[in-house]
Amino acid sequence: MAESPSSPIKSSIAAALRETVSPPPPPAASPAAPSAAPAGSAPSSAPPQSELCTIKLDGREVQAKKGANLLEVCLAHGVDVSYFCYHPGLSSPAVCRQCLVEVVGQPKLVPACFTPIADKMEVNTATPRVLTIRRQMLEFTLVNHPVDCPICDKAGECTLQKQYQDWDHVGSRSSIPKVHKPKMQDLGPHIVLDSERCILCTRCIRVCDEVAGQKQLTMAWRGDREQLTVAPGHQLDNPYSLNTVDVCPVGALTSKDFRFTMRAWELFTTSSVCPGCATGCNVEVHHAQGEIWRLVPRENLQVNKYWMCDEGRFAYKDVRHKRLTSARIGAGRGQPAQITSVDKAVAFAAERLERLVSSGGTIGLVYSAQTTNEALFALSQVAAKLTARGASVRAYVSGAAPRPERADNILRSADVNPNTAGAKLLAGVGAGDAKALLADLTAGKLKGLWMVGTDLPLGEQAEFEIAPLADGLELLICQAVHDSPLLRRAHVQLPAAAWAEVDGTFTNAKHMVQRLRKAVAPQGDARAHLELVTQIAKKANLAQNEKWQVSARQAFLQMVAEVASTLPPGADPAQSVAAGFAAADWGKEFLPVQLRFANSRG
Amino acid sequence: MSKADLDKLVAQYPAAIVSSHSNFGDDTAVVTKESLKDVMRFLRDTVGFDLLVSVTAADYFGREPRFEVVYHLRSMATGNRLRIKVPVHEEEGGPSAEVATVSDLWPTANWQEREAYDMFGIKFSGHPDLRRILMYEEFVGHPLRKDYPKEQRQPLIRRDYSLS
Amino acid sequence: MSTTTQSKTGPRKLAFGMPTPDEIAAGGIPGLSARPKLPVDLMDKLNASELEEVEDIELPTEPMQINMGPSHPATHGTVRIVLTIDGETVRDSDVQVGYLHRCFEKEAEYATYTQVFPYTDRLNYVSPLLNNVGFALAVEKLLGIGAAIPERAQYIRVIVGEISRITDHLTCLGASAMEVGGFTPFLWMIKIREWLWELLEELTGARLTHSYVRVGGVSQDLTEDFIARLRATLNRSLEPLAECEKLLVKNRIFRDRMDGVGTMSAEDAIAMGWTGPCLRSTGVPYDVRKDHPYLVYDRFEFDVPVGSVGDNYDRFAVRLEEIRQSMRILEQAMQQIPPGPVLLDEPRICMPPKNAVYNTIESMIGHFKLIVDGIKVPPGEVYSYTEGGNGELGFYIVSDGSGRPYRCHVRSPSFIITQSMSKLILGAGIADIIPTFGMINMIGGECDR
Repeated sequence: MAESPSSPIKSSIAAALRETVSPPPPPAASPAAPSAAPAGSAPSSAPPQSELCTIKLDGREVQAKKGANLLEVCLAHGVDVSYFCYHPGLSSPAVCRQCLVEVVGQPKLVPACFTPIADKMEVNTATPRVLTIRRQMLEFTLVNHPVDCPICDKAGECTLQKQYQDWDHVGSRSSIPKVHKPKMQDLGPHIVLDSERCILCTRCIRVCDEVAGQKQLTMAWRGDREQLTVAPGHQLDNPYSLNTVDVCPVGALTSKDFRFTMRAWELFTTSSVCPGCATGCNVEVHHAQGEIWRLVPRENLQVNKYWMCDEGRFAYKDVRHKRLTSARIGAGRGQPAQITSVDKAVAFAAERLERLVSSGGTIGLVYSAQTTNEALFALSQVAAKLTARGASVRAYVSGAAPRPERADNILRSADVNPNTAGAKLLAGVGAGDAKALLADLTAGKLKGLWMVGTDLPLGEQAEFEIAPLADGLELLICQAVHDSPLLRRAHVQLPAAAWAEVDGTFTNAKHMVQRLRKAVAPQGDARAHLELVTQIAKKANLAQNEKWQVSARQAFLQMVAEVASTLPPGADPAQSVAAGFAAADWGKEFLPVQLRFANSRG
Repeated sequence: MSKADLDKLVAQYPAAIVSSHSNFGDDTAVVTKESLKDVMRFLRDTVGFDLLVSVTAADYFGREPRFEVVYHLRSMATGNRLRIKVPVHEEEGGPSAEVATVSDLWPTANWQEREAYDMFGIKFSGHPDLRRILMYEEFVGHPLRKDYPKEQRQPLIRRDYSLS
Repeated sequence: MSTTTQSKTGPRKLAFGMPTPDEIAAGGIPGLSARPKLPVDLMDKLNASELEEVEDIELPTEPMQINMGPSHPATHGTVRIVLTIDGETVRDSDVQVGYLHRCFEKEAEYATYTQVFPYTDRLNYVSPLLNNVGFALAVEKLLGIGAAIPERAQYIRVIVGEISRITDHLTCLGASAMEVGGFTPFLWMIKIREWLWELLEELTGARLTHSYVRVGGVSQDLTEDFIARLRATLNRSLEPLAECEKLLVKNRIFRDRMDGVGTMSAEDAIAMGWTGPCLRSTGVPYDVRKDHPYLVYDRFEFDVPVGSVGDNYDRFAVRLEEIRQSMRILEQAMQQIPPGPVLLDEPRICMPPKNAVYNTIESMIGHFKLIVDGIKVPPGEVYSYTEGGNGELGFYIVSDGSGRPYRCHVRSPSFIITQSMSKLILGAGIADIIPTFGMINMIGGECDR
């Protein structure tokens, strides 16, 4: 086709799913997850000529690495082969027999996912024989599959549905009753199993074994009675258990959190980054009707491969609950504040800030590690302007307290702030940490404090205790996503948009600057941190028409340019955060697409 | 059918034709924005496409050029049909998408170009009366653009119904 | 001028506010401005015989703007015409459409191909099935299954389409006759239309919003006695139709309102993009059914009536004749229609039978995928056109390979013809707007989409 309107939607999805904003550090950085992939094989580096071999794929000459997985070679060259048990992030047991293809010279069909390629191999994937077997395998899989689609949580993103529609689409020939197995079995804190729907692909078992490293699932019984089960006395409770739901090609394993809340095909997808910890797993935010319903991992081989942890999946709940939705101004010190419009609160903050600057005294600026780089960059610009005006400014980087117990060598990091690296860089070398902030507050060294994000390394109880420390301040401006005891002590309380409600970037522990995309509209009156900083700065005559005020994208571009200007060319992102910034790219804009029209995830 | 007409066009304006195809039996030529007027005049006066069947546009968000203005032509004498497409750029923060009007060649283009302007915000330079047509004057945005959400609400307008 | 009447409560002024002699004596009704004085020379000639000699004399008036519509009692179709009139003469007009805009094209981008059918029902809502067929043909062109559609389904599409064309024309003619004062033809024509709609209701389950056609065929076969009942209905309609024709064609008043009013030349009509009965009234015999036959139209014998003057009467006469030609096509189609399936047997395009859906997982998945993901249409773009009630009804569809149109544009004949309204009524009297607008047959749903 000379001039087809290409598929803008689909290709954009595909690109979005595979996108990394900044180039990955070299493979020297520890791999994100111990997986079946051979160690030290960097996917990007092309193998030397001697390692390549040529095979004939459906009559087409194709070059690939010697010994590569035949199924992967097929998929890489756009040859559609159906499969259930194979998963790019897991080992291949060849149990489903759905990817059988013909290798010339071999009497029987071979499972593509279990066949390494060899030079001069001739492979046919679409001969009548292959297609018939493929159809028969599907018929076999469907013989005992319950007619559950209307009540199944996976319907609409089900691999079995997809493969049937693509390759079989022939009516039933069977009239014998189906084998019944237990439904609704509780496997663990997050998962429910329906054995009837299970097609015995064992992907979930391998996820537990190979990703989480905990052997919790296994198969029991044989033949058409075979069932998935947990070992007696055990539970499916590893911190990566919900990945089993993602890899399940049917609706056998469902998430207690998500099941029966929304139909999967109604959801819209926006690619973003998990705000749960410093790893920065790439996620897809699934939302509809202005609410987020779940987070699922998005493939990024340099960060999280295909996985994310259970805790991260629930990060969407913070966007929904306990939000600060309207601005308040007041006399501070915990006295009742008055609800007002954001514009009025901003004007009030600006006026008080200007007064503070002219009267002299130290102003503290808090860079929260849970805020996007762009907002923090804007704050650093304001800090420079304040200093230029003769004010004495102190910067602090703050964030939630580290939780060493959650750290593992897989994905979970002890640092539960998504942007510690970025906040530290943007706050500048002289910036104090949260401890310094508390010390300075106790010592009464600060006259004013402007917090872009009120996250402190304290539990809520401790926060109650330290909140009175803020009473010594003449001015406390808090931009916060959630309500908190400290916030209640502020003179100006501004509602900020949560991570899923803004465009911006986070810098993860590996110095990769990764893009967040706005999935839903901010709750209530909330505005992006960047917008609030910009508006206060403008009102307080701390900024006029600099580019960073226009949009998150402009702020990003200026930030990258400024950080890059301090670096020698060709700096290695693995070595310094700044180099990670310098190599970052904003990426493309996508429109959210409904999953039903996005070539279902199945 | 009208492949001959398409060939004639390609032969006459080889530089103006970006690409051409006859997929699904619809002969199509993609012409550059600059040469649109010449090509259309040639098609009307020399090849005999006297009926401008339709003028519309499409928004390929995320692709460059973003918009495409689509013309369908028919010759009343031969019954041949031809589709002409013009890619139209829209720069970020720059001037809005613009293409020359053909309403002076075919008066029927008048309303149809107004509709394309209304729905996509594509300006037709030289159009005698480029106003919104299906939407009201106070409407904000261009509804058939892909980045205009279907659920978007519009401010309530108190309209002065004096004659205008 | 005796404008008072006796009643128990004493003398009472009649309606319309004419001043009583007493009031005149008292200097008129306060607030009622004095009439402008005529120029003296005209006053001199204020006697009928003299006035006839000076035919060209016009009362001095100033151009004045008045608003016609958007909801005018004598037009069918929601449109606002801002008129600049000089006395009774239209000097300028601005026709404003859009009052019935329902975002068809935007909604279609968010619906699967099958879900678009109900929207097409609401385009030209007096001949919904023609829109159904037009849209189905466009999608089938993209799918490349046009030739594979079962023959019976093609005949059914012709039959229901021609019935719809008849109801479309009946509505146009009847309503227009009523708007220029002939109420009886309206009632009779609407009665015939109702008979036909009853038939369609029995077939499709809905009187007006049929959503009967599917990609790949039609949703269900004709009812058992459909052919017989259609034949009876057509026979029954002949008499009232002939009666209507007599009532109108030889009606002095009707002819005076129609003849020579709203004239359009063939060249102008083509330049203005006219198609359908309006174009044919100017003498151009362009009919998609004849010039680019689709479905099985090449198997029928029928004539394409054309006018000679291009005025309202020609548009009226062309439509009246087209009703008869449609009946001719129907007669032939009823004789030729073969038995067989009415839906393509292709599980990736057409739904499996309901019984299988409820009882087997295979058909359940097939049904589910077609409903949720929609029919996967290969990427590409097509323009497909059919003869709608008002002319060439075209669908320009761009597919990105997913289950919904990436772009779906309707080339709506009404919209394009309504554009000429200003030209047609320029220099005409205000009263001429009504028959002209009626014969343009602007259907709001189709025009504004």
